[in-house]
Amino acid sequence: MNKSLRNPLVFTLFILPALLLFLIFFIYPIFSSLYYSLTSWNGVSDTVKFTGLNNFEKALGDDRFWISVKNNGWFILFSVFIQVPLIVLFSLLIANVKKLKGLYKTAVFMPSIMSTAVIGILWGFIYEPNIGLFNKVLGVVGIEPVYWLSDERFAMLSILITNAWQWTGFYIVMVLAAILSIPGELDEAAAIDGATGFQRATRITLPLIVPIISVVIMLSIAGAMKAADIVIVMTKGGPAGSTEVMATYMIKYAITNFKYGYGNAIAVLIFMFTLVVTALYQLLFARRNERIEY
Amino acid sequence: MARSLKKGIPHVALLGYLVVVLFPFLFVLFSSVKKDNNAIALNPFGIPKEFVFNNYVEAWVNAKISTYFFNSLYISVLSSVVSILLASMFAFAVTRMRQGKWNKILFSLVLIGMLIPNNALMLPIYTIVRKLHILNTHWALIIPYIANAIPFTIIILAAFMRSLPGEIEEAAVVDGLKAPGIFARIIVPLTVPAMVTVFIVNFLGNWNEFLLANYFLSNDELRTLPVGMVQFRDQYQMNYAQMSAGIVYSVLPVVIIYAILQEKIIEGVTAGSVKG
Repeated sequence: MNKSLRNPLVFTLFILPALLLFLIFFIYPIFSSLYYSLTSWNGVSDTVKFTGLNNFEKALGDDRFWISVKNNGWFILFSVFIQVPLIVLFSLLIANVKKLKGLYKTAVFMPSIMSTAVIGILWGFIYEPNIGLFNKVLGVVGIEPVYWLSDERFAMLSILITNAWQWTGFYIVMVLAAILSIPGELDEAAAIDGATGFQRATRITLPLIVPIISVVIMLSIAGAMKAADIVIVMTKGGPAGSTEVMATYMIKYAITNFKYGYGNAIAVLIFMFTLVVTALYQLLFARRNERIEY
Repeated sequence: MARSLKKGIPHVALLGYLVVVLFPFLFVLFSSVKKDNNAIALNPFGIPKEFVFNNYVEAWVNAKISTYFFNSLYISVLSSVVSILLASMFAFAVTRMRQGKWNKILFSLVLIGMLIPNNALMLPIYTIVRKLHILNTHWALIIPYIANAIPFTIIILAAFMRSLPGEIEEAAVVDGLKAPGIFARIIVPLTVPAMVTVFIVNFLGNWNEFLLANYFLSNDELRTLPVGMVQFRDQYQMNYAQMSAGIVYSVLPVVIIYAILQEKIIEGVTAGSVKG
């Protein structure tokens, strides 16, 4: 009876289309990026000149590249130290209210399903110096208009706030799911022992959701490393390159300036930096990440 | 009294957060029916004094939002359907067919796809698309979108198919069905609930995609909604009322889908990210 499910020809025909696409669009590009990162090529001509590690040397000595690395760093720091505490706080609050729980959960997630490009436009309007919402609010308290996106001092911060607005709810829902899957008896037992709501949240719930918080941090780091569309839409990397991130710098070089080899070197560096940052995080903080049994 | 006060504090914080989330939408919605920038500037927070629905007509017709809208719609639907078809065939083969270690090897290979930061692959994909001579056609988006969704789709569908009992095939084989028949007539109908979830997640991903859509198409008639919107903003920089109408067009379909299917969307999106 197993013969028809063992038919190798049918098996091959079933896996082949997906496998081919996967190999062409995931595996081949990795090797292709590695190869072209070692060349000086404009992306179109027939001659590909092998230049060894030149592109990497150039990138590591390129001030503007380091500004983009630093900006990815801002994305990481902002999400880990500002967003994550807020995510945990709001998740705990939503988990513990009885009324309106569904409303909170549904509403906070909404920004995350929307196009980053459109959110960039929407927030561009909110930051608009003369008629935008932000300056109108500040105007009420008597603060002079701020040029949020065209002032070097504020542009990066403005992007980080928009990014946080988009993704905080997404992570809240993940953390909330973890909190709600904790058996209620634990909390009830503590309540009988006289623990206050605050004590229960910090001594019981919080330790139990450490693994999911760890996942949230990992995902934020990964997200921070690939941030690009929000920057392109809101500031195009400006003013004066102050909001450039690695991915936008890569695109600018490879597609706009026809420095395909150099662009690929930056792509490889994005890969390597992501690996290093996540490995470091795992080594330093996620070691005690043992499975939690209730 | 003290008790109800204590109960109220979380709600104050949460409602504050809710206002932060929802107010930008409301701001844009109100602005979209105001007469001009002046009307927005004079009354940025409130309900418009007169409703100018003409902004919607202008945006839809003159700014070609309609063209972008239908481009986005058909590219997103087609890509999502095809990736589900291919991924479900693959998932069926590795979970229900009996090929020993191959099942495991192939499945693990695809899992790697979830770990790759995909926009670092954009440049090689650009070259592939150009070599295939489909740059600046809709295929330049459709094929990469299909490929991009494959790992996630396979993982979710495989998990679902694994949970179906093994007796199903036995009964089907007794009835004289071969592997393709078992797939098409038994496994696929049973997998529909998981497919719906995956379809929505893929659809939203494709509908919202910006980078490839921005750099792989240069012909205005071919653009998708997010790219068209950015262009629209750059052209009509000064007309915020019309721009707001454009934003409403691009946000509305997503909000409607979300309102109807929010449980499934949250479930699907979080399932994918936790595993990634």
